[in-house]
Order: sequence, then structure tokens, then C-alpha cells
Amino acid sequence: MSYLHINGIRKVFGDVVATDHVELEIAQGEFMTFLGPSGSGKSTTLYIVAGFQDPTAGDIRLRGQSILNIPSHKRNIGMVFQRYTLFPHLSVAENVAFPLRVRRMNRAEIDDKVRRALALVRLDGLGERMPAKMSGGQQQRVALARALVYDPPVLLMDEPLSALDKKLREEIQHEIRRIHQETGVTILYVTHDQEEALRLSDRIAVFNQGKIEQVGTGPQLYASPATRFVADFVGDSAFLSGQVQDMTGTGATLRFADGTMLRDLPLHGAGRPGGAADLMLRPERIDLTPGRGREGASLPVTVEDVTFLGNSSTISARTPWGEVLAVRLTFGHPLLGQVRRGDRLTVQWQAQDAHAFARD
Amino acid sequence: MLMNFDKLGTWRWVLAGIAVLMALFLLLPIVFIVALSFGDSRWLIFPPPGWTMRWYHELFADPRWLQSAWTSARIAVVVMVLSVILGLLASFALVRGQFRGRAVLRAFFLTPMILPVVIIAVALYAFFLRIGLNGTFTGFVAAHLIVALPFSIIAITGALKTFDPAIEDAAILCGAHPWEARARVTLPAISHGVFSAAIFSFLISWDEVVLAIFMASPTLQTLPVRVWTTLRQDLTPVIAAASTLLVLLTVVLMIVAALIRKGKSR
Ligand SMILES: Nc1ncnc2c1ncn2[C@@H]1O[C@H](COP(=O)(O)OP(=O)(O)O)[C@@H](O)[C@H]1O
Ligand SMILES: [Mg+2]
Repeated sequence: MSYLHINGIRKVFGDVVATDHVELEIAQGEFMTFLGPSGSGKSTTLYIVAGFQDPTAGDIRLRGQSILNIPSHKRNIGMVFQRYTLFPHLSVAENVAFPLRVRRMNRAEIDDKVRRALALVRLDGLGERMPAKMSGGQQQRVALARALVYDPPVLLMDEPLSALDKKLREEIQHEIRRIHQETGVTILYVTHDQEEALRLSDRIAVFNQGKIEQVGTGPQLYASPATRFVADFVGDSAFLSGQVQDMTGTGATLRFADGTMLRDLPLHGAGRPGGAADLMLRPERIDLTPGRGREGASLPVTVEDVTFLGNSSTISARTPWGEVLAVRLTFGHPLLGQVRRGDRLTVQWQAQDAHAFARD
Repeated sequence: MLMNFDKLGTWRWVLAGIAVLMALFLLLPIVFIVALSFGDSRWLIFPPPGWTMRWYHELFADPRWLQSAWTSARIAVVVMVLSVILGLLASFALVRGQFRGRAVLRAFFLTPMILPVVIIAVALYAFFLRIGLNGTFTGFVAAHLIVALPFSIIAITGALKTFDPAIEDAAILCGAHPWEARARVTLPAISHGVFSAAIFSFLISWDEVVLAIFMASPTLQTLPVRVWTTLRQDLTPVIAAASTLLVLLTVVLMIVAALIRKGKSR
């Protein structure tokens, strides 16, 4: 049985469907991330778990028990918000002590827990500071300490690092990972940043237009995206548009504008012969070669442009029918330094790296 | 800013001069009154030929003045408390509420500020006549509350608007009942607005004269009403002394209000 069960959650605001049949089972101690573009329903799902919003339909179960009838302040859930939410008139230590005060714990126990929570987020000794005198990163650490000090069964984090600059963000991502490992708390984390999701999560749920498109570990999403949206959102990708020629047990055959055919492609989505479909290829999963290339997994191309990016170079290559795809060659690749605009070469890939997505 | 004061050259002296003149224009009447209250001429001659504390002695020797001051203070304190409580409730509705007609309601709450006071006074007088509130403590409080409330609402909504409701949500998830969250987190965070509301409400009632003249009875008179009625009977420097004390309290409270604002922006 799952620890936290988000069971068919649907939320409608007027005529906007914010989330639709969101179904997710989260194990105890798991780090689950909601990844998706702005407006895809991630926060709404989180707020329903927090109890700030009631779902139009569906249920939230913790250890098998529905928590929908428990008001927010009794759910015992921890949350770190996108905006800074420290209580401005209280010192750092008083902020962290607040949840324990409202639980009427005794002084000694409060002091002890506050000290340990501040040590956990590496802010020992800053208890007397006022929030206004702290940097954004420090404030979010305090917020994290405040959300963990009462040992909640679930910690919610709604884009907690989005207001910070890149370097600080990466630093605190490491801290969050460490804290997750040290405390074993179950985390629901919201972000629109795929790198952040891949770096932090055990599993990722990809949100799009209020629905979950796919749930899986980072490598699963990257290697076998279930939908075109996931393929596009997780990792870099190029899409070449074609038409389904026929479908067999081993995959589909796609036909491109100039008559080129590629066979045995795994086809995702409701494809039908004659329907439009896209071939997805990732820049770092394809190779350039001067030779003929792998049978059935290669295309002749013309080099359009070469961009040097330090540890790698990106080559824009034009297919015979005029679409452009990117190829990434790591530093040291034998062809680098020789490739020029206008060169005629072949791109090739491993069969499992090509995916076709039916368009609806 | 487009204009840099330090780079204005001679113009800055002109500007400074204008500022000083403006300040004098605003302050001179007060300086006048204060000087007259210490002057030893019975006929309010300026500048006074000599100095004395006599008018203050007369003021404090007359129980009617003290009684009016006490009445004023009592009314102002009750108005202050009610104005802050109602201001808080109204502000939460106006800032946080999601309902139709919010803008209309807000405008409605603020109308006493733009309506001529004398019109409110006449209307209230006619109304209170029917329900027997003229000349009563309750009538005074109600009348002053009407004109004080808009200032209270402006001060408190101003503070509440800059307060992120997510902070209150955070307090609730921390385990605080929504009311506890408001009392322990939101209220302290907007306390500068609440204090401003309290001080302004007190002052509006403390030196209000038009409504007070309508509400007053021979036995229930506020300090400004006493000043006004005394003025019409005889022009004694005791009035200047009373006015000086009125102004003194006002100035002290304004300074407190300014300090609160400064403390907030620190
Ligand atoms: N309180 C609300 N009232 C009306 N619409 C809302 C409200 N909250 C969210 N929405 C809508 O629901 C959709 C999902 O929003 P949200 O969950 O905030 O997305 P995300 O967090 O993924 O950016 C959006 O279209 C948003 O406009
Ligand atoms: Mg959001």
C-alpha cells in the first residue's frame, strides 16, 4: 500500500480545469517531483494536499486514511513556499519554534528541537537574526527548518528556489538532497526546471495541462518518454515530422516528405496508418559519420552550422527534406575540427534512441 | 529622481527658501497661540508685553475645562478602540475578500472623508433626535467613529496589502488555527498600520469640533466645544492656554506616529 495516495484529483476553477484525474502513489521516504510548465496544475495539486483548496473530485490518502476532512492546521504537513514566508516580526529561532509553540511543547524540548533543526540546515548560531537581515537563500533554509522541526510525515515544496540565482540554487539543491537523506522525510517537490528535477528526485511526475503525462525516474523519462511532451520537456530533442506508413508488431514505419522511410520505430500514442507522427532524436544520442551509417538507423544530412560550446560542439544538420536537427559532439570527437558548413555526412543512432510520437 | 538637489546650484537656495516660507505659513498660527497663552495681556496683544503662567493657573482652576478635557479623552479613547476593531475587520474583507462589489464597498467606507462634515453633522443631528442620542456619550462616539473609520481603514488596508497572505498560510500549516495565525503572525506584522489607525482615530475625535457642536449638551462638552463656546462669550487668553494643550497632545501623538513609521522602514 502506498504511503501517500493522490487519488484521481480534479480541480475546477470556474471554467478552468486546473488538474484532471491526477493519480499518484508515493512511497514513504520518496522524493517525488512535479515537473511541468507554468499553469500545468502542479501548485494546485500541492495546495490540495496541504488543504488550502478542496478538490472538485478525488481523494488524498495518507497511510490509507483520507485527509480531506482534516483542516490544514491539523494535517501536520510541512511546506516551503515559493515566496519568502518567514514571520517578519520573529527572529530565526522564534520562527522555527513557532510550530512547536502552537503545539504547546515545553521550553526545554522546544529549545532542543530548534537547535537541531537549525543545525540540520547549517544555520547554527544565527537564531537571533531577524529575517529581514538574511539573504534569500538563508531565508529558505530557515523556512525548511521551520517546516521540518515538527517531524511532518510529508514535506511540500513549491518552487522554493525559483527566486534564487543559479549558483545559490545548485548549492541549496545539494543541501535539500542531504537533508532528505538524513531525515528520510517524504517530499513532494514542485519545479519547472528539469535539471533541478533530475538532480533531486527519486521519481518525477511530468505535468501538462492539468494532467500527469508520465511518472518515472529521471533515466526512465529520458530514455523512454511516453509522450511527445515528455520527450520535449525532459532533455533536449529534435522532432522530424513524417507520416505513419504502416504499423507492424515490431513498430511503425515513418515516411518523410522526400520519400525517405524509417522502419521499426517504437510508436507512442494513438497512431494509425496515414496519420501524422514525429520522429524524436536527442542531440547527444546521435553521431556524425562520413561513411554510409547504420542500416535503418541513419540519415544523410548537410551541415548548416557548427557552434563551439566548450566541452561540446553543436552541429545543425539539414535532412534531405529540409528539416534541421541538432547533433552534439563532445570535445575530442574525431570529426570535430574537420566539419565545415556544406559538408555532406550521415547521422546515425542506436535503434533504442529513436522514438516516434503520433500526433493527435 | 530626475532632479538632483545637490546639483541645482543657486536654485537649491531658492527652493530651500520656499520650503521655509511654507513651513512658517503652516506653523505661525500655532506659534501665535502658544505665545499668546504665555503673554500677560488680557487683550491678546501680539507680541505680548510680558510673560506669565496666569492663564494656565486659571485653566486648571476651572473644573469645567478639566471636565471637558476628561470628556474629550474618554470619547477619543472609545472611538480609537472601536475604529481600530472595525477598521481591522473591514480591511480584511476589503483586501482579502473575493466578492462582487468590493470596490463599491471600499468607496462607500471612505465617503465620510469627502462628504462635508457639516452635512454629516446635520444628518446625524436629525437622525439622533428621533432615537434620542443627541447630547449622549454614545451619540458622540458614533458621530466621531463615522469620520474616524475611513482613516483607520486606509491605514490598515495599506499595511495589509503589503503583507503576503502566503505568510499566514505558512503559519496555518505550522499548526496554528486560522484565527491564531492572524492574531500571532498577521497582526504583529501589520502593527505599524494598526498603531497609525489608532493614533489618527484618537486625534480625529480629540480635535473634532463641527460634529461635537451638534452633539454637545450643557453637561457633555468636549474640549474643542468648550474652546468654541468660551470664545463666543469672552476673548480670554485661557482659550489660548487650552488650545496650546490641545495642540501639544496632537503634536506628541503625531511624533509617535512618525516614529512608528520610521521604525517600520528601518
Ligand atoms: N485560485 C485560482 N483561481 C482561478 N484559477 C486558478 C487558481 N489557482 C490556479 N488557477 C488556474 O489553474 C491552472 C493551474 O495553476 P497552478 O496549479 O498554479 O499551475 P502551476 O503551479 O503548475 O504553475 C492555471 O490555469 C491557473 O490559472
Ligand atoms: Mg505554481
